[in-house]
Amino acid sequence: MSIELKLSRINRVYRPSELVEGKIIVKSSSSISHYGIRIAVNGSVNLQVRGGSAGVIETLVGVAKPISILRNKIVEVRPSGKIPSGTTEIPFSMSIRQPREDNLERFYETFHGGNINIQYLVTVDISRGYLYKSLSTTMEFIVESDKADLVERPVSPDMVVFYITQDTQRHPLLPQLKSGGFRIIGKMSTQCSLSDPVSGELTVEASAIPISSIDLHLLRVESILLGEKIVTEKSVVQTTQIADGDVCHNMTLPIHVILPRLLTCPTVLAGPFSIEFKVVIVITFQSEVAKLHSKSDPTTPRQWLAMETLPLELVRTR
Amino acid sequence: MEFRPRNYIAEKEAHALPRVRADDHPLSAPSSLTHRQVEVVDHGDMGYLDPLRRSDNNAAVSIEDLEVIESNSVVGVSGEATMLNPSKEWVSFKRSLMQRFPVSKTVLTSSISDVMVKGRKTYDKSSTNMHLEELEDPEKFAEEGGKVITGQEYVSRLHELKVEINHAWHADDRVTSLKLSIKVAKLLMDTSILQCYPTLFAHATDIMDMLGDMVWERIKLKAELAEDGTKFCWLPENFVASDICSNAKETCNNWFSKIGAIRELLPRIYLELALLPCWRYLRDRPLDCLQRLVMMTRGLADPLASAYCRLYMAHCIRKLHSHDIGCLLTCVNDFKILLMRVISTTETTHGNLTGQKRLLISLMEPTIDYIMKCIFKNVSERQVGSVLMELGLGSNQVELRGKFPCVAIVLHHLLKQIPSQVVISSAMEIVHLIESSNDDSFDQCLNYRLLGFRLCERRSEMETVNAVVDKVIQVITHYEGLDEYLKVVDAYVDILLQNHMDDHLNSILEGILSRACSQGIAEDELATLQSILVKFLSYYEDLEDIIAMTPFLKILDLMYGSSQSIVNMHILDMGIRNGYIHDSNQPARLISSFVSLVDYGSEMESHLTFLVECRAAFGSIHWLKETLVRSSNCLAIKALKDGNRHISFIKSCIAFSEVTLPSISAQTKQLNLYLETAEVALFGGLVSHSDGLIDSAINSLQILEVMDGPRTPVDADGVLSSIQKLFSLLVMVPGNPEHGITYYPKNLVSLVNSQSWMTPRMRVKIFCAVVSLLAALSQRDLPYHADKEKVLGNGLLFFGHPSYLHELALMCKFVLQNLVDTIQQEPSMAARGIMALEACNCIASSFIPSQEISSICSNLIETGKSCMSTSHPYLQSTIKFMDHLVHSSVAV
Repeated sequence: MSIELKLSRINRVYRPSELVEGKIIVKSSSSISHYGIRIAVNGSVNLQVRGGSAGVIETLVGVAKPISILRNKIVEVRPSGKIPSGTTEIPFSMSIRQPREDNLERFYETFHGGNINIQYLVTVDISRGYLYKSLSTTMEFIVESDKADLVERPVSPDMVVFYITQDTQRHPLLPQLKSGGFRIIGKMSTQCSLSDPVSGELTVEASAIPISSIDLHLLRVESILLGEKIVTEKSVVQTTQIADGDVCHNMTLPIHVILPRLLTCPTVLAGPFSIEFKVVIVITFQSEVAKLHSKSDPTTPRQWLAMETLPLELVRTR
Repeated sequence: MEFRPRNYIAEKEAHALPRVRADDHPLSAPSSLTHRQVEVVDHGDMGYLDPLRRSDNNAAVSIEDLEVIESNSVVGVSGEATMLNPSKEWVSFKRSLMQRFPVSKTVLTSSISDVMVKGRKTYDKSSTNMHLEELEDPEKFAEEGGKVITGQEYVSRLHELKVEINHAWHADDRVTSLKLSIKVAKLLMDTSILQCYPTLFAHATDIMDMLGDMVWERIKLKAELAEDGTKFCWLPENFVASDICSNAKETCNNWFSKIGAIRELLPRIYLELALLPCWRYLRDRPLDCLQRLVMMTRGLADPLASAYCRLYMAHCIRKLHSHDIGCLLTCVNDFKILLMRVISTTETTHGNLTGQKRLLISLMEPTIDYIMKCIFKNVSERQVGSVLMELGLGSNQVELRGKFPCVAIVLHHLLKQIPSQVVISSAMEIVHLIESSNDDSFDQCLNYRLLGFRLCERRSEMETVNAVVDKVIQVITHYEGLDEYLKVVDAYVDILLQNHMDDHLNSILEGILSRACSQGIAEDELATLQSILVKFLSYYEDLEDIIAMTPFLKILDLMYGSSQSIVNMHILDMGIRNGYIHDSNQPARLISSFVSLVDYGSEMESHLTFLVECRAAFGSIHWLKETLVRSSNCLAIKALKDGNRHISFIKSCIAFSEVTLPSISAQTKQLNLYLETAEVALFGGLVSHSDGLIDSAINSLQILEVMDGPRTPVDADGVLSSIQKLFSLLVMVPGNPEHGITYYPKNLVSLVNSQSWMTPRMRVKIFCAVVSLLAALSQRDLPYHADKEKVLGNGLLFFGHPSYLHELALMCKFVLQNLVDTIQQEPSMAARGIMALEACNCIASSFIPSQEISSICSNLIETGKSCMSTSHPYLQSTIKFMDHLVHSSVAV
């Protein structure tokens, strides 16, 4: 006896205005009597504070209260009856937005972060009375913003110009780096559609010490309002290498980062929480010291690193 | 026992076939055609190049030239064909790459990624564990480093990986497929073992291509399938992005974002290149992202990795059938910057560095070569100018050139590929370019050399040629080394010869000579020198012209080894005009055939002197001695025909042969030549000489016994026929009264009986020959004579002498007994029968059928009958012959 959910879309992406459709597939060697087959959808923002910048008490308190977007909306697909033996497919469809009553919350897009999880689930439940355990299974589906709700303004093509030199660094540098100097210039878009890559370019103009690597770290910044304190945690989502080794000077290198799905979402600044993104450009210089610290967090300032942090606003476009 | 008297003249007339006069020679071709052929050979125009000889010349030059020729043929002849099948060309390119830089058999130590050592026994962990660990902590594996793996293992592991990836894919585990492919691509980041990189590249890109194809097919399937799995459309070849259903696009996007998530730059580029064609599912202009990829490649600082990455890019662009060369041009320009950096690194003080640098550049060379080929494959003639401009080499960009000089190796490959019209039309500019681009990446002289070869491809205007040649000659006069001098000269010799630039020709010969005299000629220089000299030889028709050039002969004297022989052979070949060249004995053959063709006309004395000189000069060539003996024998015959004036000359010829003969090592040949010489001596009336030679022949027959090993039947038959020939010769040889008339036959019979290797069959044949000889000697008129005036035959010497006939008969009796005995020794029935009949025929035709003879004959026939069926035709005809003889003798 098994039960399975299959959504109509392979990528499982639905917009709030759309119907979530699919099939319930029941496989059984004998016929099953039941008291009704029900589909339930749930959507919530789960907030959790783990270590990092949170204090001991917050850690102990642990989970902040989850924010419900969609509370257990239930639809009966079949009234009580019998499912014959063999494989049975039961189609279902339900809207997730309730037009009459106001929604509890905005339909935030699905996001899987470190401390913040925005998740939508669909659950099927076949109850079989008190004597038998009810059959049920759950599946996640992904919500993206409605096209109608999206801002029509185009993503600003403007790029932020950045300079990275020994003088822009606030942390101590290797002496020969400090004295010899270096200069890396570039530009990058700071507003970006989720469906497009982050783009820009970068040029090494000078460097006293050979460069070992230039990497671009995509950071997510998750903030949670915990009591009166805002707990913020930064973590690296994706690293993209731009230059491997001591590249030729004065050659333009492109910045091209495809944004990972699920791990990114439109920048959200809600009351109880916020999800923001940043890009850190890290230049690693060749150094004997660096080899001893190869496992440290790449965005921590070190003597042999130069970095520049740029904000990145992610938006969903039509 | 009485010999049968014969009338040879009457018999000949009775048995001869009637003769009819023929109008045409049966073997001659229609006469008109022969004439025409002769004309072509004699009056072939100056520009005509024998295609066979041409290729022969080229084959002799160094490998580099072969490359030039090869690439030219790709551009010129098969250019279009290869355009149609780029994948085949790519495969062969990769193969040649691996052959050029083979993986060393020695053990490699390097920080090889764990995928390479995964399968090895040293690890107890299961492969899945390894994967997990590696995923968690890729750094750890790199750190461990210093793992040891042989080149062979490395390659076989790559093969295994390919199988694994393929397997995982078809088991619907595409994630594993992709993960493994990424690992393979990551291997390409490791350039620590330079020599291995091309092999690694070839195998890794093979895997990349395979993955790219699989992804392409998968998305195509999705685009063609409805959701329920039934096929609902065929995607046309020239589909556009809007034809693709969202489902397929979704999958495609997924692949690109998976690849986009690869942290490291190099594997990300490789995989994106592998999936490059898939952009067609998403966009109508899939090449748009290429420019970005070209730019991204700049981020690879390692010169080798980045060069090969561009190579793969060129390959992937070709797969798209794109004619856009903008990206490739950018690649070349980036290449130049990269190379300049490689060249200018001098900071390290280790002496090893230059070797390493040279290796690095030689490893990068094929990539430049391939990219250049790709560029010029798609370029029409009109575009060439703009291409050159793009590469910073445009003719009207002189000031730019100074600022941004071309790297010699890039220039070299550019020069290799640009169409020959362009080479000719801007030859002087190219010379200036070569002059200005003189760096470590490539030997400048090789660029001059290449220009020479390119100029040879087409006839160009006299003025340009003059200007270029003047300039080049001026440049090379400053070269001190013979090697570079030769390399350049080799390329221009054809031009100089074609344009009759005799002054230059002389000056370069002098140049070569002076450098060769002062430095000697190294092994590797010989080949080039040989090519140059052979070009001279193939250009001039007359040997005298060559011999008139004194430096030429001096240079030839300075040469040594096989190259010298080859040039000598070409000189010989010019004399013989015999272009066939087959085996390793070629020089000996050529010299021999040359010697045999030498003819001094009526100056026979000089001819003999020449033969003597040849014997002195080519003492080591056994082959030649045979020719020398033949030639001297021919000379003697020629003198003989000329009348009686030359008797002493003939003697000298025979003496020359006699002296030369003992050193011929091939015994059967020696035997035959003894006989030949004896015959010539006999015709010359030199009986004592011929006696001596026959003695020597018999001696050499005796020595034959010494030779060990099983004798082949051919060999034995050869000896047999030589012995038979000797008997026929003996008919003419006057008997020596001192030794007795049957001296030679007796000697031979005892020789035959003493030789253990002689089979009964051979003996029977020889005994039959003896019987025939004796019968012939008994005749009043011998069947044939040597010169009757000079040599008296036995017929005249002993005619009618009763003891003479008696001696012959005595000898005959002895031989007959031997003959009959020998037949019985033959083990094989069939052979014995045939032998008996043969002997019977011989005896019956030699003797008058007396009682004694008849009984021998009937015994032999009985033997024949017992050994073969009565219906055997030979038996039947023999019986018939016997009856006929008996009847006719009764009638007589």
